[in-house]
Amino acid sequence: MASGLLVIALFLPLFTGLTAGDMRKAGRTFRRYIVWLLSFEVLAVLALVIGGQGTVLPLLKVAGGLQLVLRVDAMGSLFAVVFSIIWLLVAVFGFEYMAHEGKSQRFYLFYICTLSALIGVCFAANMATLYMFFEMMALLTVPLIIHSGTEDSYMATLKYLGYSIFGAGLGLLGIFFLAPYGGIGSFVAGGNLDPALLAGHEELALAMYFVAIIGFGCKAGLLPLHAWLPTAHPVAPSPASAVLSGIITKAGVLAILRMTYFVFPAELLRGSWVQAALLILAICTVFTGSMLAYKEKLLKRRLAYSTVSQVSYVLFGIFLLHPVALLGALLQFIYHALAKNILFLSAGAIIMKTHHTTVDKFSGLGRRMPLMMGAFTVASLSLVGIPPCGGFVSKWYLCVGALDSATPLIGMVGMVVLMVSALLTAGYLLPLVIAAFFPGRDVEVKRDLLPESMSVPLVILALLVVCLGLGAGWLAQPLNAIVATLFA
Amino acid sequence: MNGSWMIFIPVIAPFLAGFVLSQLRFEERRKREIYCTISVGVNTLLSLLMISLFRGEYVTLVRFTEKLSFSLRIDGFGAVFGTMVALLWFVTTIYAFEYMKHEGRENIFFSFFLMSYGVVMGIAFSANLMTLYIFYEMLTLFTFPLVIHAMGARDRHAGKLYLVYSMLGAALAFMGLIFVHQYGYSLDFTPGGVLNLELIGEKTELLQLIFVMTFFGFGVKAAVFPFWKWLPGASVAPTPVTALLHAVAVVKSGVFAVGRSIYFIFGSSFLAGTWAQDVTMLFAAITIVMGSAMALATPHFKRRLAYSTISNLSYILFAFTLMSPAGFVAGTLHMLAHAVIKITLFFCAGAVLYKTSREFIWQLDGMGRKMPIVFGCFTICSLGLMGVPPLAGFSSKWAIGVAAAACDSPMAIVGTAALIISALLTACYLFAVILRAYFPLNGFDYNSLAKVKDPNWLMTVPLVVLTGASLVLAAGMSPLSQWLATVAAGL
Repeated sequence: MASGLLVIALFLPLFTGLTAGDMRKAGRTFRRYIVWLLSFEVLAVLALVIGGQGTVLPLLKVAGGLQLVLRVDAMGSLFAVVFSIIWLLVAVFGFEYMAHEGKSQRFYLFYICTLSALIGVCFAANMATLYMFFEMMALLTVPLIIHSGTEDSYMATLKYLGYSIFGAGLGLLGIFFLAPYGGIGSFVAGGNLDPALLAGHEELALAMYFVAIIGFGCKAGLLPLHAWLPTAHPVAPSPASAVLSGIITKAGVLAILRMTYFVFPAELLRGSWVQAALLILAICTVFTGSMLAYKEKLLKRRLAYSTVSQVSYVLFGIFLLHPVALLGALLQFIYHALAKNILFLSAGAIIMKTHHTTVDKFSGLGRRMPLMMGAFTVASLSLVGIPPCGGFVSKWYLCVGALDSATPLIGMVGMVVLMVSALLTAGYLLPLVIAAFFPGRDVEVKRDLLPESMSVPLVILALLVVCLGLGAGWLAQPLNAIVATLFA
Repeated sequence: MNGSWMIFIPVIAPFLAGFVLSQLRFEERRKREIYCTISVGVNTLLSLLMISLFRGEYVTLVRFTEKLSFSLRIDGFGAVFGTMVALLWFVTTIYAFEYMKHEGRENIFFSFFLMSYGVVMGIAFSANLMTLYIFYEMLTLFTFPLVIHAMGARDRHAGKLYLVYSMLGAALAFMGLIFVHQYGYSLDFTPGGVLNLELIGEKTELLQLIFVMTFFGFGVKAAVFPFWKWLPGASVAPTPVTALLHAVAVVKSGVFAVGRSIYFIFGSSFLAGTWAQDVTMLFAAITIVMGSAMALATPHFKRRLAYSTISNLSYILFAFTLMSPAGFVAGTLHMLAHAVIKITLFFCAGAVLYKTSREFIWQLDGMGRKMPIVFGCFTICSLGLMGVPPLAGFSSKWAIGVAAAACDSPMAIVGTAALIISALLTACYLFAVILRAYFPLNGFDYNSLAKVKDPNWLMTVPLVVLTGASLVLAAGMSPLSQWLATVAAGL
């Protein structure tokens, strides 16, 4: 029963995408079909997560003693739930937007199929399976970026492709060299490497771990392989940039989580040069991302840099190897996924309504599209970290964890950088909000509401940000349970 | 077993068939097609029959001296190579009927095409280094007319390069032959090697040098750096030749011969951990990156694929030079995966060339929608070559990577890094084609392609069959690697 659900969860988006992409008209039937089937997908994932923990589904045996296997576990469940819900909401938002942009069927074909790959990434039971779905995800998102068919989008696509393949390749290199010590076996909380085999090869293993993290970090926007984000996001249609920024980067986060807590033994990492190097990289990324976002005038590129910065908060929490910091990282993952989708979708709404792409055209938007700007405001406050929006809680835990971690000095520096970055975040988001709501007396604004299919997803996302922020204590319970298994 | 002499049939029959064809001079295309289909088909069936019936039988035709003889024997490695060649030869023949219509001089083409078949089967079935060497020389001679088929200045130049490089390689390999004759128990392919360590005594360094020479000698056909130059030049040949000979039969004969000399002549235990291993691994790694980089820099469709072949052949060489049973298995897997995939890619390029006379990547805008079968196959096989799991190219690359990780040499890390860089380049040079074909830039006018469509069944059926074969291969990688592990057990 449960494995049947897993099959459905994995293949339903693929089926939906292929059939919807084949429809002649992107009209009502098309929309209803997608909404129904994606809602069903969300239900399937929820049912699987609630009732199917531990389900195992072998897919294929490959040469070299390797099996491609899926397994439902708590960590994967968390990611799958967030991914599938947001995927549905963005799909709904996209109908009107893509009707404007054109070639809806092609867009939805690849957009929906990507969810299959993401579910695979979530429930992969070993590194090889994860790598497989990771690659598929990268390839399936390529048509989303090239969608507009301009020269720019072509070049951006090649850049995205190059970074993705190279990043995943580095990840694969790491996997290869961890294989002799058991690294390709099933994920085990606390690491699956065999200490007996590892004895004497620790340095090589650490170096390979580092290489793999840099590789998977490419998707998560970790320096030095972050450069694809600011190139790919502005050229992609807004629903695509929303999920690229909010979701696809998180697949990189999940890969790093798996590598750090399910493959590598934490005691080997704690206090090593690799941990220090990665923490410093994450801190640098947080700062650089915010700084570049602050300087950037193109709205979507500003948001892309913001993602570079914000996702590295998550990575910072992961690399600290501390339960409280990891809790903060998981919360930050959820809040950022929600908030960044809101911001990019709003950017899309603005582009559709006003055809402006820069940050200096916000004047009066708050009166023109109040719901959209309201959601934008909530998301901005969350990213800055102002209570009661979610971002505050995650940053709180991150800082507490940083101070209590085994590397207090780097933790302290990290905390300071987090604060500075929060300031910068406020600096690059709040002026837009202020200009939108307080344009000054001489600006004439007419109401120009978004269609419901666009505003409702935005409002739902914004409500989620607020509710999950207020209910952080409630949300932290299951997350704490996940974290506890990793630090047993 | 009685009748084991029959394994000579699939080696000799194609020569006769080719000779008869050259004398018959069919006037009607149809008759020639029937003749070729029957000859190749029967020979493929015979080859497969021999492989399944007479595994391990040692058959001598001529004995020159006690150690030197002209003999055949089918072992596990030869069986894999022979099966691959036999099956692909038949498919290519079907494809060639249609394609060669626009090249002309088909009689002479198919004569030599048939004869080459026998030579390659000879390489697959060789029982000792001497026999292998003889067939290896013949391979150059019999495929030479196919390379210069169009007889233009470019073709003759390419032919000359091919001849010079091949002869150079054969000369180097000949040195190896002599030394092995001198210092070995015999020349027969024996798992674990034939070197007489007592006789060698202090001269291990010398023998290692000889191994390196042999590696490069046979490596010429596998286009290893610095002897790769002939291969992109030879892409002027008609597509069936570039597809079958320069992606599978000829180049893989070089790879096969290298595998033979490492695991069956010099012995992996004699070579593992020595400077000879490091040097050969290094050159394979260099070729891997260089081939892919050159492919990316080449706008000519077929030549890009030729460079890609150079890179991929060295994946196999790199796996073989790991000098371990796992390396042998991984190399053989990649030999199969690359053979099926690359021949399909070449067929796609040929189909485009045949239907539209477009040779360059920038001319391929929007073709994906106009030639759905051709570009569908191209996309699937491209993903396979890039190593997107779970397609065939991934499994073999995975096997190579894991085998390399288990190898102690620091060159293993260099080589694996080369694989990763090459994977990136591979994605770029193949995706450049796919993106153009499916996602032309804004303002592209599909009317300019109004007359373009998929070729007829003689070309599309081989394409679809081969693409299907690559998927079957991907699914069968696990049992295949297990079986190969038993073959490799004695190494």
